[in-house]
Amino acid sequence: MPRTSRGLWCLLTAAVAAACNEGLKPQTVCPAGFQGICGSVTFRGALPESTDVVYVVAYATFPQSQSDLFNFQPLPPPTLGLDSAARTRSQPYALPLPNGTYHWVLAAWKKQGALSQQNADTLLREAGFYKNPADTTKPGLVVVNGAATGIDFVVDFSNMHPVSYYFP
Amino acid sequence: MRTAALLVTAVLFPAAIAGQGSGSVTGAVRDTAGLAVRQARVRVRTMGPAARLVAITMASAEGTYRVDSVPAGRVIVDVAMIGYFPDADTIDVTAGQTVTHDVRLRLSPVTLLPTIVTAAKRSQLLDQAITSVSLVSREAISARAVNTVDEAVDKAPGVQFINGQVNIRGSSGFVEGLGSRVLLLVDGVPANQGDRGGINWDLVPVDQVQRVEVVKGAGSALYGSSAFGGVVNLITRELPTGAHARLRATAGMFADPPQQVWGFRDYTGIQDGLDVSASYGHGTMRAGFAAGARHSDGYREQDKADHWQASGRGEWRPEPAMLVNLSGAWASDQYQVPEPWCASGQCADSGQGFQPFRIDTANRGNTTRSDKGYFTALVTRTPSARIAWSARLSWLRTRFTDVYPERQPPFAPADFSVANRYGGEARLVTRRDTGQIVTVGVEAAHSDVTSNVFSGDTTGGGGRHMQDEYAAYAEAEQVMGPLRATLGARGDFLTIDGGGVTAFVSPRGGLVWPTRSGTWRASIGRAYRAPSLAERFVTTYALGFRVIPNPALRAEDGWTAELGRSWSPVPWLRGDAAIFWTEARDLIEPATTPSLQIQFQNLQRARLAGLDCNVTAMSFGPHVTTTVAYLYLDARELAHDTVPERALLYRPRHLVTLTADYSWRSVGVGADLRYSSRYERQDPLFPGDPQLGGKVLDLRASWTTGPLEAHLKVANALNYIYNLAPRVLEPVRTTTLTVAYTY
Repeated sequence: MPRTSRGLWCLLTAAVAAACNEGLKPQTVCPAGFQGICGSVTFRGALPESTDVVYVVAYATFPQSQSDLFNFQPLPPPTLGLDSAARTRSQPYALPLPNGTYHWVLAAWKKQGALSQQNADTLLREAGFYKNPADTTKPGLVVVNGAATGIDFVVDFSNMHPVSYYFP
Repeated sequence: MRTAALLVTAVLFPAAIAGQGSGSVTGAVRDTAGLAVRQARVRVRTMGPAARLVAITMASAEGTYRVDSVPAGRVIVDVAMIGYFPDADTIDVTAGQTVTHDVRLRLSPVTLLPTIVTAAKRSQLLDQAITSVSLVSREAISARAVNTVDEAVDKAPGVQFINGQVNIRGSSGFVEGLGSRVLLLVDGVPANQGDRGGINWDLVPVDQVQRVEVVKGAGSALYGSSAFGGVVNLITRELPTGAHARLRATAGMFADPPQQVWGFRDYTGIQDGLDVSASYGHGTMRAGFAAGARHSDGYREQDKADHWQASGRGEWRPEPAMLVNLSGAWASDQYQVPEPWCASGQCADSGQGFQPFRIDTANRGNTTRSDKGYFTALVTRTPSARIAWSARLSWLRTRFTDVYPERQPPFAPADFSVANRYGGEARLVTRRDTGQIVTVGVEAAHSDVTSNVFSGDTTGGGGRHMQDEYAAYAEAEQVMGPLRATLGARGDFLTIDGGGVTAFVSPRGGLVWPTRSGTWRASIGRAYRAPSLAERFVTTYALGFRVIPNPALRAEDGWTAELGRSWSPVPWLRGDAAIFWTEARDLIEPATTPSLQIQFQNLQRARLAGLDCNVTAMSFGPHVTTTVAYLYLDARELAHDTVPERALLYRPRHLVTLTADYSWRSVGVGADLRYSSRYERQDPLFPGDPQLGGKVLDLRASWTTGPLEAHLKVANALNYIYNLAPRVLEPVRTTTLTVAYTY
């Protein structure tokens, strides 16, 4: 066999062996090596008919005005499953985020319609947020250094607020 | 022809004709696709110490041959034809009997130096092109038992498809099918969509494709917009004389998800299809027709698809130097829309971070109906060896309707677009005794789009837009001693909705220098791409955000250079290597505006450079062929404003393709292995998504006997689960059996 041919066949064999490598594998919501916030939400209340989607987002600093509303992370934000089966049980979520401190982790309910900076306060509602374990009236601070786990909270469709409700 | 052959035999070998105790040998010479190989040389020899040549004859236009007065006993029949591996076999001849011996010839990728028609808009030998060209032969398409052309082109050196979007040396990346930087031609006629600028790869039935020419690098100097990164030309089959027919049936099944937690249905998905074609040629007229249909359950949730197609072609040769060609095709697809896959919380995720076989429930019920067709009239005339001209008219129509049952007002529950593209071209090629070849031409096209999603109306209403393109081009090639020098340019003029004219000039130059062991080539040219009407006027809704139009979008342009060499130091080895460099600016990409709306904008300066090489070897004589192709790509977005230099999205740095084929008599087996490295940069829109390279092994086997052929293909045999586009699962292991009968 000519040397070139032998080389090509060796290359082909090696490549086939390398291709036996595995592809994607099942991955839990918060896999090993994940960087960001992991937790779960539980649902209360009836889902409003005008619901478009419910996002989970994090703010590094608490928004002070409407112009701060879009400083959330990550982009695009993950959404929660909203069919009736998904709402009957605790639903895990994960927010891939850079290391740092996050002052507000919340579920943002969105009404049907195209979102813009002008109508954000009309179409968006705070539907639940991670609370300070020491004072459940206040948002809980989350420090991300790798994976911050156990950031659980309740999404209550019967007790939603415009985001401006929280502006100083 | 048969009479002439017999006459030659009788004159050269009178002893054989007069022999006693003799029989006859007859048969047909066909290629592996079942089509006649005309004028193949058939030689009959006796065996043993007193071996002698009995007769030489040529196969007829139908591929048949007959040799009479062959001495009884064992003889050798060998058949040869330029461009094919020779075939030799022994047969036993009985006195007074006729023995039938049919022969299948395989195309030879090494000994054949093909003629190409795309790189210079005229016929030339492959080694005379100033840019790199890859060919996909009919045999390669047939052996791979594919249903659409893109499945065959995907394995060409330097080419990669990302969810249907073709990349030649990383040209396009992935932009959801909008604004391809590769131009598709069907027999030289532009066929990119009039609205999105993308490509419908199922426009032409794959069984009708003779070969595919992939011209790499900027082709704007001859083809204008869209040929920014290269040109793919589908050359359809010639219509033979006589009556011919072909029936092709396919059936296959998809592997189930390899992980139980990914299960999504309780049955195994299948696919099937049927294609028929027929042609007739007599005298100056030839005509052919093809039709087909196929169904697929798909390999993931909400992935069922049905496809219908029909095509026809007629040829009239009123005089030997003139050919009138009419051709058309129509295809319709109705399919469920399976993308993107379900991320955590977007479906019954079973606690998983993602479910690659399931879809986001928000997209449940989404379907698309897509119809497309074209009609082309082409006249070519070659009154002498020095001059040839051609003229064509073409019409391409695409229409799609996307249905979104879960969409809520104010957004329409369906998007639609109807696009027409009318084109015309006239071309003249002159050849002088001084070694000069000049190609000149003019081209015009009018596109109109009626749509609610490409309307530019941000309230979601419908609208109509038009684009007119006019162009003139000229290119000259001059032989200067051992060198061939090429210089040319094309001017393009573009108007949108009857507005002001935008002009572009795309020059190109190159040199070809043949040496004893191979050929050097070098070229430099300008590339440009005008934005598609969809990129300018798209207005829709995605991820909860408005996608807004940008009528002020400018064309993207750049310069591309290449230095390449092809070589064949020994008859069984052929190689080609090229280093390439593209500097691009104003690349059109989707961007997020300060008001959180998505818009196509001129964003990037980019550099794409690398090495594209391949080696083909026949290692054990004519039975084994191996090809190794490697693309090294350094694709960088250059620093601008506050953005530092970084990798371009959706461009793997390494792309390796290994192909091996073995054939013995009527049986063949083969394999393709494709490796693409992991993208260096994660799409910022999908920061947490898994990201892998691709390692896909395809296996195939074939068997032919007489007019019947069967192909077994196991695509992605290792069932490697991966994605190249965001949240779009690539096909799982798919086993397909294709059976064809050729009359």
